[in-house]
Amino acid sequence: MSEMIDIIVDSQTYKVENGSLLIDLLIREKIKVPYFCYHESLGADGNCRMCMVEIEGQKRPQIACDTLVKPGMEIRSTGANIEKVRTNILELELINHPVDCPICDQAGECSLQDFYMDYGLHNTKVTIAQKVKHNKHIDLGSNVMLDQERCVLCARCTRFTDQITHTHELGIIGRGDEARVSTMPGRKLDNPYAMNVVDLCPVGALTSKDFRFTQRVWFLKTANSVCHGCAKGCNIYIDHNIMKYKDDVIYRFRPRRNDAVNGFFMCDEGRLSYKELQENRLISPLLNGEEIDEKEAIVKAKNLIEKCKNEITIIIDANLYTEEIEAILAFAKELGARVCSPKEIYMDESFQDDLLRCANRAANAQTIERLGIDTNEPNPSNLIINFNHPQDFKATSLISFLTHNRPCSGLSLPIAAYSENEGTLTNIDGITQKCEKAVYKNKPIPTILEYLQKVRA
Amino acid sequence: MRDCKIVSRNFELPNSHTLAVCKAHGGYKTLEKLGEYSPLQIIDIIKKSNLRGKGGGGAPAGEKWELMPQNSNKPSFLAVNCDESEPGTFKDRQIITKDPHLLLEGILITCYAIKAKHAYIYIRGEYKQFQDILQGAIDEAYADGLLSECDITIHRGAGAYICGEKSALLESMEGKRGHPRLKPKNKEPEWFFDNPTLVNNVETIASVPFIVQNGADAYRAYGTQKSPGTLLFAMSGHVEKPGVYEAEFGTSMMEYINHFGGGVKGGKKLKALIPGGVSCGVLTAKECENLTLDYEALSSVRSSLGTGGMILMDEDTDMVIALKNILEFYHEESCGQCTPCREGTGWSDKLVGKILDKRGTKEDIDKLLEIADTMNGKTICVFAPAASTVIVSFIKKFRAEFEAKL
Repeated sequence: MSEMIDIIVDSQTYKVENGSLLIDLLIREKIKVPYFCYHESLGADGNCRMCMVEIEGQKRPQIACDTLVKPGMEIRSTGANIEKVRTNILELELINHPVDCPICDQAGECSLQDFYMDYGLHNTKVTIAQKVKHNKHIDLGSNVMLDQERCVLCARCTRFTDQITHTHELGIIGRGDEARVSTMPGRKLDNPYAMNVVDLCPVGALTSKDFRFTQRVWFLKTANSVCHGCAKGCNIYIDHNIMKYKDDVIYRFRPRRNDAVNGFFMCDEGRLSYKELQENRLISPLLNGEEIDEKEAIVKAKNLIEKCKNEITIIIDANLYTEEIEAILAFAKELGARVCSPKEIYMDESFQDDLLRCANRAANAQTIERLGIDTNEPNPSNLIINFNHPQDFKATSLISFLTHNRPCSGLSLPIAAYSENEGTLTNIDGITQKCEKAVYKNKPIPTILEYLQKVRA
Repeated sequence: MRDCKIVSRNFELPNSHTLAVCKAHGGYKTLEKLGEYSPLQIIDIIKKSNLRGKGGGGAPAGEKWELMPQNSNKPSFLAVNCDESEPGTFKDRQIITKDPHLLLEGILITCYAIKAKHAYIYIRGEYKQFQDILQGAIDEAYADGLLSECDITIHRGAGAYICGEKSALLESMEGKRGHPRLKPKNKEPEWFFDNPTLVNNVETIASVPFIVQNGADAYRAYGTQKSPGTLLFAMSGHVEKPGVYEAEFGTSMMEYINHFGGGVKGGKKLKALIPGGVSCGVLTAKECENLTLDYEALSSVRSSLGTGGMILMDEDTDMVIALKNILEFYHEESCGQCTPCREGTGWSDKLVGKILDKRGTKEDIDKLLEIADTMNGKTICVFAPAASTVIVSFIKKFRAEFEAKL
């Protein structure tokens, strides 16, 4: 850790680590500075030239992403001079850009669009016919579509495949205004983190084949949550929306920055796991595969539990929220039931890598361990109550609380998925994180806590 | 005009590119003297001679050599810049075809001084036939045992002008795209695969044997106080005898043109002149009248000496077409890394094309100057500022010709 020093930005004094990057300070203090190529995870590349600031004593404006702060530095980030420089560079950036915002999926979350409103508003000086033409839809692979004309050549995507995944699929080919992003000849973008380039892309050049054309981003509502794909617990945004006359639907997951857990990224499998939350859901109680009324189902469950008291085994899914697991444990104590959460089914060594993905695919496995819950297979039992554990169990009687439809004998009751509920998870490194309730169904499915109350009553 | 042949002294000899001829005329003699000096003493001689880099920038070579670590656990390298692609410049190829052993001798001395065991010659891709001559000389030197302690490898470029920029050259040598690197914050050597590396122009290295052989003062006896020594100046364009002729710094420009070049072609009047490859601002004939050929004189007229490759333009030259020609080059060669250069070179080329087509307006001329301003000093390397200088000097000095086409 270097010493802390004072520097002045726009007549205000800020404390900052000596020798750190000026742009980090500007971003941290929310001082307006436009930039495309800089990214905290990828470092400075200095190619977009947008983050120009004036430094006292320097003749020319300098880029903030390649300026190390020194004691006594005096920075001006506003003023007629610097705004003109930014405006002129932005005009060049736009000169070969197709300006097709109305049909661009990035519109609404596009840096180029935002900076244009701040620094641009130029008059059109070239016609579309005079612009350099490139390929507008290239399927790069891994759900990523490339529009070379919209690209600002910030090289974030190529640096991602060079520095983060070390897979080197993307590169820039051609020179001058013919320069464009491309895969290496004969290769596809193919790595488990490929779709992060869509988030990294500041403009609409890289879009997700999965998400594009489904929603305008300004209609989306966002909730903070945690991915349930494995025990890593990557922080995510759940982007969802209720269209007129429709139910609340999740349109995408995006990684949410957390330097202690996932940094800026998440894996593609986790990103696409939102689909499972709205496919093949169990929506009404079933008895041996036949739909029954919820009240009737609860009465049946109560009777079964009463009948089999002291011969019950309760099985817990290691993906449930900590609050739910604790409530189930209390319930089990009342019944004198044995509790277990078989671990074997969650383990997948092939999923593991040294970036983010870990072999344990249960989001709250750490809590199961902390609470001392048995992780072995259950002994044969008279009655098994399964709280959404993915395995099938054999018993004389079976009550299953399930998020998803699956062939099950006995009584099955639908429960809310994690996106429809709130709670906390503890990840593999022992970090406890909160998940917000994102989805509000038109016809809500009860949570485990609500069921436990009803069964007790 | 004083005859001074330091680098070109063997150029006229028959078979001057062979080891036998070279050795018969004193080649590799300096190597015998190397034992008398320590590496630091060699660097000191170079510093005292005030040898300036001859690739266009004119930075003192000794200061660059001094940055190389003498006691490093990493290997040091020398990269000789032979990516000669500046329009109007064709001096380095004279050296590698007419006296390649002089370059090799210079490389061996330089490597001794910076403690490098391997030198690379980065040669322009289009110079294949010249490369073959140079490779022949290297093979001869290997066979003769001259390269027993220091390897020399030719690295062929893929035809990008920007790879003449030293950091882009090293990126290219590392097998990457030739993109200039961000400038270091402190004075330090260049880095080749993270190893300290010295990058020098062919002619700079070829000047080294003379200096070490004859001492710093013998070199300083030529040229001016601030620009000592000689340069392989060259002439092309509207001149009777285009070619490369060595002269000392401080020579009168017009005298040089008349003496070596035989004056403007067809006895016409000179209209304009680009002093050192197209990246230097254009000069009017009037500005050239009393100009001397050295770094200080050229910068006093807001141009630069560059590589010393002069392009002459006679009174019938259409300056708009001339600018279009140069801008096409910049448009083609911009590496595309920084926004102002990537888009600015293309747009300014198109705007001049529009003026040539008689579709231009007064706003287009103003826009050209504005683009030039945005390209100046706002990019990673000096490619865009060079293009900017060219645009500004053409328009400021010959504005009437541009306006006549509106």
